[in-house]
Amino acid sequence: MLDVGRHPNIELMAYSELKGLEGDAGNFTAKVLKKARYVDADKCTGCGACVEVCPTPVSDLYNEGHADRKAVYSWFAQGIPSTHAIDTDHCRVFQGKRCGICAKKCEADAINFDQTEETVELNVGAVVVATGYDVFDPGKIPEYRYKTLDNVITAMEFERFLSASGPTEGHLYRPSDRKLKAEKADLEKTLAKSAKALARFEKKHGMTSKNFLVALTTNTLELTDDLAKDAEKWAAKAKDHKSKDDRLTALAQKADAVTTAKKIAFIQCVGSRDLRFYPFCSGYCCMHAIKEAIIAHEHDNDTESSIFGMDIRAVGKGFEEYKIRGGNASQITYKRSRVAEIVRGENENPVLIYEDTAQQKIVKEPFDLVVLSTACAPVKGTQDIADTLGVDLDKFGFFKTDAANPLDTTRDGIFVCGCAHSPMDIPESVAQASSAAARAVQAIMKSKKAS
Amino acid sequence: MMSTKGMKKESMKLVEEPRIGVFVCDCGSNIAGHLDCADVAEYAKTLPHVVYVKENLYTCSESGIVEIKNAITQENLNRVLVASCSPRTHHPLFSSSCAEAGLNPYLFEMVNIRDQCSWVHMGKREDATQKAKHLVKMGVAKAAGLEPREEIESSLIRKIMVVGGGIAGLSAAQALSDMDLDVILVEKTDHFGGLLQSLGTLETGETAEDFLGRVVADVQRRSNVTAYTGAQVKSTGGYIGNYEVTIDTPEGEVTDKVGAMVVATGAVPLIPEGIFGYGNKGVVSLMELEQHLKNDTLEKAGFSGQRMVFIQCAGTRNAKREYCSRICCMTAVKNAMTVKKKYPLADVRVLYRDMQMYGAQKEQMLWDARGMGIRFDVYDPENPPNVEAGKVSYFRTVTGDDVSLETDLTVLSTPLTARQGTGELANMLRVPTDQNGFFLEAHAKLRPLDFAADGIFVAGAGRYPATATESRTQGIGVASRVAAILFKDKLVKSAIVAGIDPASCVGCLSCLPMCPYEAITYNKDARVCQINEILCKGCGNCAATCPSHSALLAGFKPEQLLAQIGAA
Amino acid sequence: MTDNILVLGGGIAGIQSSLDLAEMGFKVHLVEKLPSIGGKMAQLDKTFPTNDCAI
Ligand SMILES: Cc1cc2nc3c(=O)[nH]c(=O)nc-3n(C[C@H](O)[C@H](O)[C@H](O)COP(=O)(O)OP(=O)(O)OC[C@H]3O[C@@H](n4cnc5c(N)ncnc54)[C@H](O)[C@@H]3O)c2cc1C
Ligand SMILES: Cc1cc2nc3c(=O)[nH]c(=O)nc-3n(C[C@H](O)[C@H](O)[C@H](O)COP(=O)(O)OP(=O)(O)OC[C@H]3O[C@@H](n4cnc5c(N)ncnc54)[C@H](O)[C@@H]3O)c2cc1C
Ligand code: SF4
Ligand code: SF4
Repeated sequence: MLDVGRHPNIELMAYSELKGLEGDAGNFTAKVLKKARYVDADKCTGCGACVEVCPTPVSDLYNEGHADRKAVYSWFAQGIPSTHAIDTDHCRVFQGKRCGICAKKCEADAINFDQTEETVELNVGAVVVATGYDVFDPGKIPEYRYKTLDNVITAMEFERFLSASGPTEGHLYRPSDRKLKAEKADLEKTLAKSAKALARFEKKHGMTSKNFLVALTTNTLELTDDLAKDAEKWAAKAKDHKSKDDRLTALAQKADAVTTAKKIAFIQCVGSRDLRFYPFCSGYCCMHAIKEAIIAHEHDNDTESSIFGMDIRAVGKGFEEYKIRGGNASQITYKRSRVAEIVRGENENPVLIYEDTAQQKIVKEPFDLVVLSTACAPVKGTQDIADTLGVDLDKFGFFKTDAANPLDTTRDGIFVCGCAHSPMDIPESVAQASSAAARAVQAIMKSKKAS
Repeated sequence: MMSTKGMKKESMKLVEEPRIGVFVCDCGSNIAGHLDCADVAEYAKTLPHVVYVKENLYTCSESGIVEIKNAITQENLNRVLVASCSPRTHHPLFSSSCAEAGLNPYLFEMVNIRDQCSWVHMGKREDATQKAKHLVKMGVAKAAGLEPREEIESSLIRKIMVVGGGIAGLSAAQALSDMDLDVILVEKTDHFGGLLQSLGTLETGETAEDFLGRVVADVQRRSNVTAYTGAQVKSTGGYIGNYEVTIDTPEGEVTDKVGAMVVATGAVPLIPEGIFGYGNKGVVSLMELEQHLKNDTLEKAGFSGQRMVFIQCAGTRNAKREYCSRICCMTAVKNAMTVKKKYPLADVRVLYRDMQMYGAQKEQMLWDARGMGIRFDVYDPENPPNVEAGKVSYFRTVTGDDVSLETDLTVLSTPLTARQGTGELANMLRVPTDQNGFFLEAHAKLRPLDFAADGIFVAGAGRYPATATESRTQGIGVASRVAAILFKDKLVKSAIVAGIDPASCVGCLSCLPMCPYEAITYNKDARVCQINEILCKGCGNCAATCPSHSALLAGFKPEQLLAQIGAA
Repeated sequence: MTDNILVLGGGIAGIQSSLDLAEMGFKVHLVEKLPSIGGKMAQLDKTFPTNDCAI
C-alpha cells in the first residue's frame, strides 16, 4: 500500500470523486472533485498531535462504530496518505462553536479551516474501475435481530474485534459486555461526583450521609436552621447516590463474571443466495467465516465455532485444505443449515433456531456471540458512477462485462476489476487487477496506433 | 508488491566512522503490547556507534518514513537499523527509503522483534524485551560492518515464450502481442485450444468451438506471434531478461532468446478408474458426457431420456486428493441443464457435497437449474453413493432415508488434475509445484500470476482448476506482469549476491552443486568457479560450502556475521 | 494522446492495477473516495488463505 503512495508514476487523489468523463478511449477528459480535508497535504506530517487534543469524539466507521475517533482524524493508523482530515459534520468549528485547538497544536501549521474543494481536469487514455463493494446491512433481515441483540454482529465487525489494533485489542469481549463495562465506568464517574457533593454536606453538618438518612427516616434528626435548609436536597442526593451505588455493586458483580466469547456461531449467506435481497453467492464469505473462527481460536484456545451454511464454498487454491485444517485444529463444526431465526436468551446470549439437517430436527441453541457473514453488495452510488462513466450495470448491480471479454465494460477504454466486477476474494481481485491493467494499456496503445 | 524505484545510482558515501540510527517500531500494540519498546530504545542509545534512536508508533507509516529520512540528513547517519517486523515484507520499503534520503540502501539493516520477540514470547513481557535488546545489539554490530553496494543492471529482450496453447496461453499471447511484445507460442499437440476443443456448449450459451475459433484465428493472424504446434520446449537457460530457449518443432529445432516465460500448460480431467462403477455400461465421466452432448451421441451411450444422475467430487476431496476442483460443479450444472432442456421429462439429479456455484453468474445457474426441475441431493462422503448396473443408491442425509434409483446414465464429475509432464517442465524451468502437482505461484494471495523465480509467470488451469473465463483473465493478467519488467529500459537487481575471489579459489567445484539456481559455472581456462550475478539470488549456499573461503556473499561476509554473533 | 490512466477506487484491486500500470511506465491517477486507500482489506485483521496481514 505504501508503494502506491511512493511510486513516482502514481498520483494519489484520496478523498476525491469522479464528477464527469468526456471523450473517447485514448483521449478522455475526467473531472475529479478533490474534497476539502481542511488539512494541508503538503504540510501535514501525519503525526497525530491534532487528534490528541481534539475534544470531539465521533463514531469510528473504520472500526465499524465500535470505537471512537476524533473530528480530526486519519482513516486508520497506517493510512495512506497519512494526511489527516477534518470531519465537518462533527468538528466544533464547523458547528459554529468555539474551538480550533487542533490548529493551535499543529506544529506544521497544516490545519486550514478555509480550505476549499477543487475540481481538476485530467486527460486520461483509459479508466480502470475498482470501486469494490459494500457490506450488506443485515438489519434488513428482521428474523436475525441485528442491532436489537447486541451480540449479533457482522463478520466485518468481528474482523475489527479480532484485530490487535481494533476496539478490543484482539480480545473477544462481547458487545453486550463492553456496554456493561462502559455503563459501570460511567456510573463510577457519576458516583464520584455525587460523593463529592455529599461530602460537602457531611463536612458542613458533621454527620455521615448514612447517619443522616437513618436519622431522617427514624425521625430522630435534630433540625438546626442550617440543616433544615439543606435537608431536602441532601436527602434526595443521598438516596440517589445509594440507589446508584447499589446498581454499581450489581453491575460490578456482573462485570466480574464476564469472560470472552467462547461459543461462536457463524451464519452464512446473510443477504446472499436469498431472493429477497441478492440471489448471488458472495464467494468469499464461507472462507472468511472459517478464517475468523481459526483466528478466534488462536486468540483463545477455548473458543469453539459452528458455521451454519447451505454449502461451504472453499473453491480457491488451498481452500479445502484450509477448511479441513481449520475444522481439525480450531474446533470448528460445519453445520448444513439455514438458520431460521435468532432470539434473545439468558445472559444476552443469542439463541439460534435452526433445522439440524443431519438429525432432521429443529434445534434451539444458545451462543455467546453470533457473526453474520453478510453479502457483497454493489457499492453505494454504483448507478451514479455508471452514469458518469456511461457504462451499463448487470442485473445484479455490478459493472457489466461478458465472458469472452471479462474485463471490458460496455464502453470502449473502460475496464473493471475486483468486487466492482462481481463478488470475489483477494487472490481473484489481484489477478483481475493485473488483467484490467493490461487491457487499459492495450487500449492506449491501440488508439496511439490509430492516430 | 515490491518496488525498485529510487534505488538508482546512489552517491556512495565514503565509509567513514559508523553513525548508526536505530528505529524501534511499536507496530501499534503488535509489538509494544508485548514488550517494552521504550526500554529497548533507551538501551539502543547505549550501544557503540549509535548516535540517534527513535521509537515510532508505526515505523512503516508515512510519518515514520519521514522521520528516518530526516534523521539521515539531519543527524548525518551513515547506517540505519530498524527493529520491527519481517524483513521479507518490509526490508524493500525501508532500504529504498534510505536510498531516497541519499544513503546507500545496502547500509540498511533490519531486525525482527515482532515475530521473534512479541509473537513467540507473548505473555512474557520481560523476556521478550530482553531478547529484543539482544537482537538490536546484534543488528547494530552487523550494521557497523556493512558496506555500500551498487545495484546490478542488465539488458532485456522484448520477447516472451508462452508454453501451452489453451485458452490461457492464447489469451496471454493476444494480450502480449497487443502490447507490441513479440511472442513465441509453444503448443505440444497438433492443435491450439487445449481442453476447450473437447467441449460442447459453454455456460455462456456459445459453443466452445465458436469461441475458440475466434481466438485462435486472431492469434494466428498476428505478425508478432510465432505459433508452433506439435512443439515442445527442449531446454531453457539464462536468466530474467535473457533466457535462451530451444524448442523442438516439426520443422526442426529452433533456438531463440526471450526476456520472460509464461507457463500455461493447463490440466486434465481425472479418469475415474476404479470408482463408482466406472467402466461399466451406463457410467461415464463428466468429460465423456460433455463429448456425447457435443457429438449428439448421448443415446448411444445408453441414455434413453429416463433418468440421469450426476455424482460430484468423484475422485477428489478425499484423503488422497484433498482439493476441490472448482469447476466441476458448474460444469455438471451446465450439462444437467443441457440434458434437461433436450429431455424435459427426464429425471436429472445431482448428488453433491457442496455445490460450488460461487459468485454471481454461477449461483444464478443453480437457481435456474432448480427452476427447471433438476434435483439436488446431498450425500455424505463417509457413506458415498453406490453405483451398480443401472442403479444408484445413496443415503439422503437431509431426509435421513436410503434412496435407490434406476438410472440409464450415471455421470461422474471428476476433478481437473495436474498434467503428466508438469514435473519435468517445472524442473526444466526451475519452478516449484504444489502437493497436488500444480504449479506453485509466488504467493497464493498477493502474487497469483508470478513464480517466485523472476521473469517466469503462470496462468490458467496449470496453476489450479479454473473456468475458461478465469483462465482467459489470468492469461491477460500475465501480460501486465511481464510488461512491468520488459517495458523498462533495463533490469535492475539487488546487489546482495555472492562473488568468488579468483585469487584464492582452487577450483574444487564444491560450490557448483550447492547452488539451487545454477548460477555457478567453472571457467576451465582460469580454473576457477564463477558466479552469474543475475542468476544469483543471494542464498549463500556457496559461501557456506567453499573450503577456501573464496565464495563470499555481499552483506553477509564472515566478518559481518561474526560481529553480529559476537554481540549476542 | 496521453499515457495517463485513471483508476477509480483504492482497494486491493485498484492498488494492484495502479502498481502494475505504474511499473509498466504509465502515469496513474488513483482516485479514492475515502481519506485513505486500502479499501476493505485494510479493515481485515488477517486474510485467507495465507493468514498474514497483507497490506
Ligand atoms: C468436462 C468439462 C467441461 C468444461 N466446461 C466449461 C465451461 O462450460 N465453461 C468454462 O468456462 N470452462 C469449462 N471447463 C474448463 C475449461 O476447460 C478450462 O478452464 C480451460 O480449458 C483451461 O484452459 P487452460 O488454457 O488453462 O488449459 P488447457 O485447456 O488444459 O490448455 C493447456 C494447453 O497446454 C498444452 N500443453 C501442456 N503441456 C505442454 C507442454 N509441456 N508444452 C507445450 N504445450 C503443453 C496442452 O496440450 C493444452 O493445449 C470445462 C472443463 C471440463 C473438464
Ligand atoms: C468480513 C470480511 C472478511 C474478508 N476476508 C477476506 C480474506 O481473508 N481473504 C480474502 O481473500 N478476501 C477476504 N474478503 C473479501 C475482500 O474484502 C475482497 O475480496 C476485496 O477487498 C475486494 O477488493 P476491491 O478492491 O475490489 O474492493 P474494496 O476493498 O471494496 O475497495 C474499493 C475501494 O474503492 C473505493 N470507492 C468506492 N466507491 C468509489 C467511488 N465512487 N470513487 C472512488 N473510490 C471509490 C472504496 O472506498 C474502496 O477503498 C473479506 C470480506 C469481508 C466482508
Ligand atoms: S460464499 Fe458461502 S456464505 Fe457466502 S454467499 Fe456463497 S455460499 Fe453463502
Ligand atoms: S467443484 Fe464441486 S464437484 Fe468439483 S470438487 Fe468441488 S465440490 Fe466437488
